[in-house]
Amino acid sequence: MAQEELDKAVSGEYALGFEIDIEEDKVPPGLNEEVIRFISKKKEEPEWMTELRLKAYHKWLEMEEPHWGHLEYEPIDYQSISYYAAPKKGPESLDEVDPKILEAYNKLGIPLEEQKQLAGVKVAVDAVVDSVSVKTTYQEELKQHGIIFCSISEAIRDYPELVKKYMFSVVPMNDNYFAALNSAVFTDGTFVYIPKGVRCPMELSTYFRINALNTGQFERTLIVADEGSYVSYNEGCSAPMRDENQLHAAVVELIAMKDAEIKYSTIQNWYPGDEEGKGGIYNFVTKRGLCEGENSKISWTQVETGSAITWKYPSCVLKGDNSVGEFYSVAVTTLAQQADTGTKMIHLGKNTSSTIISKGISAMKGQNTYRGLVKIGANAEGARNYSECDSLLIGDQCGAHTFPYLESKDAHGQVEHEATTTKISDEQLFYLRQRGITEEDAVSMIVHGFCKEVFSQLPMEYAVEAKALLNLTLEGSVG
Amino acid sequence: MSRVVMDIDNLHARIGGKEILKGLNLQLEEGKVHAIMGPNGAGKSTLSKAITGHYDIEVLDGEIRYKGQNIVDWEPEDRALEGIFLSFQNPVEVPGVNNAYFLRTAVNAKRKHQGLPELNAAEFLREMKKLVQELGMKPEMISRSLNEGFSGGEKKRNEILQMMMLQPDVIILDEIDSGLDIDALRAVSEGINKMKDGKRSFLVITHYSRILDYIEPDYIHVLKDGKIIKTAGPELVAELEEKGYGAIEEA
Amino acid sequence: MRPVLLGSMSPESLMEELQAAPSRALAARRLSELGMPTRKSEAYRYFEIDPLMDHDWERVEISATSEIEETQRRIVITDGVVTALPADVEVQVGCSDAIDLDGAHFDPLYYLGHLMSREVISLRFRKDARVTIVHRCTQPAKLLAYRTAIYVDANVHVQISERYEGENACGALILSGHDAFVSRDATLTLVKDQTLRIGDYTPIFSHRIKVDSQASCRLHSFDFGAGSGLQLIKAELHEHARIDADHLLYAKDHARRGTVSQIVHIGQSSVSNQRAKNILVEKARGIFDALIKVEHSGKETKAHQNSKAILLNDGAYMASKPQLEIYIDDLEASHGSTTGQLDEAQLFYLRSRGIAKDEARKMLILAFANELIDALEDDALREDLHRSFEEAYWGTTNVTCMETCHGCEDLAAETAAK
Repeated sequence: MAQEELDKAVSGEYALGFEIDIEEDKVPPGLNEEVIRFISKKKEEPEWMTELRLKAYHKWLEMEEPHWGHLEYEPIDYQSISYYAAPKKGPESLDEVDPKILEAYNKLGIPLEEQKQLAGVKVAVDAVVDSVSVKTTYQEELKQHGIIFCSISEAIRDYPELVKKYMFSVVPMNDNYFAALNSAVFTDGTFVYIPKGVRCPMELSTYFRINALNTGQFERTLIVADEGSYVSYNEGCSAPMRDENQLHAAVVELIAMKDAEIKYSTIQNWYPGDEEGKGGIYNFVTKRGLCEGENSKISWTQVETGSAITWKYPSCVLKGDNSVGEFYSVAVTTLAQQADTGTKMIHLGKNTSSTIISKGISAMKGQNTYRGLVKIGANAEGARNYSECDSLLIGDQCGAHTFPYLESKDAHGQVEHEATTTKISDEQLFYLRQRGITEEDAVSMIVHGFCKEVFSQLPMEYAVEAKALLNLTLEGSVG
Repeated sequence: MSRVVMDIDNLHARIGGKEILKGLNLQLEEGKVHAIMGPNGAGKSTLSKAITGHYDIEVLDGEIRYKGQNIVDWEPEDRALEGIFLSFQNPVEVPGVNNAYFLRTAVNAKRKHQGLPELNAAEFLREMKKLVQELGMKPEMISRSLNEGFSGGEKKRNEILQMMMLQPDVIILDEIDSGLDIDALRAVSEGINKMKDGKRSFLVITHYSRILDYIEPDYIHVLKDGKIIKTAGPELVAELEEKGYGAIEEA
Repeated sequence: MRPVLLGSMSPESLMEELQAAPSRALAARRLSELGMPTRKSEAYRYFEIDPLMDHDWERVEISATSEIEETQRRIVITDGVVTALPADVEVQVGCSDAIDLDGAHFDPLYYLGHLMSREVISLRFRKDARVTIVHRCTQPAKLLAYRTAIYVDANVHVQISERYEGENACGALILSGHDAFVSRDATLTLVKDQTLRIGDYTPIFSHRIKVDSQASCRLHSFDFGAGSGLQLIKAELHEHARIDADHLLYAKDHARRGTVSQIVHIGQSSVSNQRAKNILVEKARGIFDALIKVEHSGKETKAHQNSKAILLNDGAYMASKPQLEIYIDDLEASHGSTTGQLDEAQLFYLRSRGIAKDEARKMLILAFANELIDALEDDALREDLHRSFEEAYWGTTNVTCMETCHGCEDLAAETAAK
């Protein structure tokens, strides 16, 4: 196959690049105290929240944008972004949701009608378009179990004590530049609370969609799993194809109490821009989980195929003794995408353990960086980490980089890191093709094999989606 | 009945919080070959670990009286110096530690313990070379790293080599026949049989009866669910082969 | 002189402030771009460079060439000046202000060292040679900066072993290092024993190694020291060039020592193989921060890197940062890093054969270290380093032949024959 055709194939087609034609309520671009007060007022927030937002804004003003990532991009003009956009019709029930949004979500494969279940499995969905949550399904059924699943705006109004206690407790508002910005201007997101001893009976899911022009999306997610509870949560996202870059700066905080487990899966498919690097989402995300109690567990699984720039490090602070942190990641960079992603595992408690499996795939002009920190504190007796970071390169214009930081202070701990960088070998391809498999299928087979360990961590219906997405992104990639 | 060299009395032991040995009683007689047989998971390897003082084991109750002393709190090297030898089921590889150097250190530690003069390098190597040849091992095994890259058979022969050099009093053979082809099995059991001198005791731990065709046992003990449930003469082997462990009931 | 103040200067004022030779303009420009290292600089992240940079140092004046003693196979450099030369080795030694600087070194102190050294001690090898360089430092509590350049001509094979002595140099900061040029088809073996036997100063060795087409460099660094010390290495590999870099670190007390390196594959079919072993005791901190970079031009390269560390007690600390930065798909690259402790199963095995716990631990530690010492081809050097490690480990020497040598059966065969 000629290189040109290959590149065409490898770039896939961004199938979710359509735009929803709905009326938007949008503030003019720019950021100042007025805008923050406006957002807070729109959300009907109590005074304390407004104050916290302003405090975060002032901290942000004093901070500098970080540039240590292995990323190159045009400077972001924070004053040219609109910080609030919402579909004009506020929904009260499903009947009142703008049919255009319903249609759009159907197009995305996310049904908002409760009777239409995703792949036959019950999944509760919180749908967020631009700055607001438009619909949360199955709320009633979840309530019977004592589970709170709602938009973060609702949570601020209805569960102020929980929000005050946990928001900013894992990711402080001045944790980093983008987290501070998010703390000031976050518009929506999801709040989940699982009470003691409850196993959440269905998958919870939030679907984020950037629709409006010139807007940023700044959602904030907070999940609290009380003692002995379990929840599996998934997020997906997409955006229309646009020539300019759009900023997405989210914050996710997870808290797992004693014996609790949170499984957090992401399929990130923001618009990646074109092969010249024009357009696409700048994705600067802070995700962190705190294993507060003994025997707690937080597991991050991510499949990152979209965005022009990805800067994200879903992390675990392993505070409780015997707590477990996991990070499974597939990151694909093709076209002119750049990703600097990885994790941090901070071992504080005794006998804590963490596993990192990272698979980076680079094609065309993609630059893929794994950056991870494993830190074993002096009191983390018997802590264990295993990391495996593998890179697969397709084509000779791309790059794959591995930057692990491994710090151990404990003589009874064990840190192991392994990394390899390979390309799809001609022998492998030939072998498969000799058996009658097309080149495209052979590549796909090899890539899927490469990612298998990570996909197996995803809930079944999402694994199917992830595989399809990977195929689409990498169609026929080797010559 | 011959003199009892090791008397295990009501031994309770656990590994990783799970109690495996649940009141095990066993007496090893001087000069005799005792075979421990039992289904997988019965606690056979745990028993060998308890006798040698493995770090995984926590003894909860009971005693292991050896030459008149309770050794359950002894360091592993002290048990070894007093003559307890375990041939490991899976000998660990120790890269960078020269096989000959390791064995000389062990032999001299024992000689020192016995008040004998240490062997110099040449004396020691002469002895080692002789045995290496007898066991049909390749001469380069002497200078390679301890067990590193050895095949299954080579590892087992290396265990027997150590046993012959160290001249222990109680020899525990943990699944000595696993992974051995017929030639290796013959060489290994010849080595073992040579060690029989009417004083030395053997504890042969095995799942299958194959090895007992080569090393004739005096007693068969059936270990099940952490206890010895039956002790009999060699005739029990045939019965076990025929009926399996399920048929053996607690006596 | 307070180095931290140099950080914000323009190239011109740097040249003036340091009275640098005009040929150092590139160094001034690069230092000005990079700034002085701080604890936030990646390369010095785990080292605590700030107090050293913020100290008001008195500089050691490099004296004019002194009288030169004649030796066997030894070059002695005392306080930055050559004081002894071998009569039996063909090496051309000179001082020159001309030097082909690396315009892309990552370490600002590489450039500071060059700016502060008006002249570079240059060693040119036109024929195969074996030589020892002894670096001696005698001035306490001062800042000494000097640079050496090593030229190995085409087809020439050279082995250099280096030692460091710091009599009376307590509290000094030494900025030194090589610019090594290994020409086509040549071999440079550099065996550095960075253990400080006498004295206590902080060395920051900043090297630049250029390995030309089909040339090969073997770098073996050994560091069994206390106190602080860092070596920073930038190596570039051209077509079919090869580097094998081994680093053995045994650090105790409050030591903070280690290696920061960048190996850059520029030419195709180049090979790099880097191995680090770190043994950390007491409150010591070990650093291994190593990048392998494969440029777009580095087709069919092989790059492998491995770091292993054992922490022998609580309080010991290992910071390991193996990195790969790759811009081409046609290559073979891997790295691995482990930090742990002595293997319990191995320890038990040895003890179950009657070997006392301390002895068994020592055997395993020696085995861990020996792999890198045994990689030395030169018998005498290998023995020296075994001894050096034993001294560091026990404070005395009691190494036995069998512990280190793998040829003892020959001896037995001989005695048996008699």
